[in-house]
Amino acid sequence: MRDTFSRCHPIINFLFFGLVIAYLMFIMHPVMLIISFLSALSYAVYLDGRKTVIFCLKFLLPTMLTAMIINPAFSHEGITILCYLPSGNPLTLESILYGISSSVMLGTSLLWFRCYTIIMTSDKFVYIFGKIIPALSLVLSMTLRFIPKFKAQFEVVRDAQYCIGKDISDGSIFSRLKNAVRIFSIMITWSLENAIETADSMKSRGYGLKGRTAFSIYRFDSRDKSILCCLLFCGIYLTCGILADGLKWRYFPSVKGVLAEPFTISFYIVYILLCNIPVFINRKEDKIWRSLKSEI
Amino acid sequence: MKYKILLLFLTVNIIFCGCNLKQEKDYQGNINIPENGIVEKSVFSQIQENNAVVTFSGESNCCKYEWTVFGDDIENPRDINLAIEITEEPEQVLLNFQSNDYFGFSSVLSIHLNSVWDCQSAIVYDSENNAVCGASVTGSENTILNYTALQTSGTFCIMPDKADSSQINIIAAEEKEITTENRISTTKNNQQDDYLTPAEQFSGIAVSGENNDNTSNNRIISDGSQTEQDKYLTDPVPEGKPMPVEPENAEINEQTQYTCTFSVECSTILNNLGELNSEKLDVLPADGIIFPATEVIFYEGESVYDVLQRICKENNIHMEASWTPMYNSAYVEGIHNLYEFDCGNLSGWMYRVDGWYPNYGCSRYQLKDGEVVEWRYTCDLGNDVGGGYAVTGGE
Repeated sequence: MRDTFSRCHPIINFLFFGLVIAYLMFIMHPVMLIISFLSALSYAVYLDGRKTVIFCLKFLLPTMLTAMIINPAFSHEGITILCYLPSGNPLTLESILYGISSSVMLGTSLLWFRCYTIIMTSDKFVYIFGKIIPALSLVLSMTLRFIPKFKAQFEVVRDAQYCIGKDISDGSIFSRLKNAVRIFSIMITWSLENAIETADSMKSRGYGLKGRTAFSIYRFDSRDKSILCCLLFCGIYLTCGILADGLKWRYFPSVKGVLAEPFTISFYIVYILLCNIPVFINRKEDKIWRSLKSEI
Repeated sequence: MKYKILLLFLTVNIIFCGCNLKQEKDYQGNINIPENGIVEKSVFSQIQENNAVVTFSGESNCCKYEWTVFGDDIENPRDINLAIEITEEPEQVLLNFQSNDYFGFSSVLSIHLNSVWDCQSAIVYDSENNAVCGASVTGSENTILNYTALQTSGTFCIMPDKADSSQINIIAAEEKEITTENRISTTKNNQQDDYLTPAEQFSGIAVSGENNDNTSNNRIISDGSQTEQDKYLTDPVPEGKPMPVEPENAEINEQTQYTCTFSVECSTILNNLGELNSEKLDVLPADGIIFPATEVIFYEGESVYDVLQRICKENNIHMEASWTPMYNSAYVEGIHNLYEFDCGNLSGWMYRVDGWYPNYGCSRYQLKDGEVVEWRYTCDLGNDVGGGYAVTGGE
């Protein structure tokens, strides 16, 4: 699927993820969490299709379930006692609800970061921060890319080892272990070497030196301007909402908060708008593309 | 143009959203009682409207006093004279309410004395010398008396509770302020005291009825010869106090039932409302009493923790505890959703049996027939409830 949002200016991309992840962390309001979760899920599915669904079923769902169960098992605060655990401590409705909320928060942040790694490629990251903090931005972009790159390289090495019959999938336990250790050793060597090579290569190109310019194809056009205005509006609006206690929600000792006040509903709408900006842009672009195609 | 409309929408919204939200219970600080003592109706109706918690403080003859008013208790706001004339005498306090009738809501009155009372609780007497109710004694430096005033006219007198078995405690023994007569009367009045307190041993008074008839449980009384910490890091138990009984050794015999007096209270929070986690105001009882002193049944061999757990379950009171292997005991983290550290960094739950705060965990205190168990919330590491020694080891 073509993603138009990723072709916006890097600052727009970064600001979007910054805002969305920051509000996710600071707002524990259940409606806001659900909005963020559904938006993140829909965008991740839009970007990555089947892979996201597999990721959700294989990794996200078990993680969220574990987080959901762990909270009421260890936290017993809350005024609604449902029953007593074998330890003698009460099982409370509030701790269950808090467990659900925090697990949704965890799952949502994983989904947003999944989108982030697809949209914010390292060249975009270096473009934004390369001038201000060259060394740190290089290190950050290298570390953030480390796991995906490591995974990809791991598959390559494993396949190569499979070809020469030194695979981890058959043989005795001892030989499998030996092969696994060898693959791991290759991977470590590769990653260290790769890091040094990257650093050397950047240095030899004069990265971070004064007066050095970098080629970039990013242009801040009128579309970016209107998206930036939209992002800033949503950001300021929601920040004011948080400061004015318009999104107050507490779980302990009793669940209490603002749910359906007219102004809280306006915050929901703004949050839906904020979280779905990429999807809206993509929709609009798809529409234009389709109409252009039909004209031909 | 589009953005201007949006901005207008934004500003209008922000102005109104603060005012439109429902008020939570909120501690709104302290109001000084005016010279003539009369607090106007408008103040009370505002407290009621905001569902606020407010303290009114005043001073009379160098004695500070405080009313803690909960907005949801007020039914009919009107002008009320909150002033009291307080006369502090040794071992008694005279109150003269300036108001002529009942306020219309119950409120906790806290009196900050300029002296220290060596007692575990106090009793409020009316002008005809009838006991009206009990008052809790707290305070780190000077004594603070807390009680729920149900009558707010006429004169009252508050005196230390002499009949309380716990009146003679370790501190009293050291200071030797109490006359021998007092001690004898205490011992006579007191059917609960079944072990020698240090004070009694020092003064050589033989306590009759040192009953061994119901001591089939295996706890022993400390002879004070212990000098080292035991393996669960408990400092030596003072002479005359029961030694800990490890919960794994305790045999609970459900055939034999005894009774003890049990209570849970948190009146110290009312004196430290500013420190309280504001979310917890909803669960704070207006009179500071979570479980009033009640005679309850327990089975032979049960510990204080066993009884606390059962009472909380039976009365649907929330309680959370965690087992601490290092001290071989349960640690009570919170009762009634009031947790440790909810009212400042030095706050938490402590327990007192017959006037003594044991220096070991509540799972290791095996109860005996007739003992008085009190769970109290401290905001100052035990100093405000007279139990600092149990925390710091008397240092």
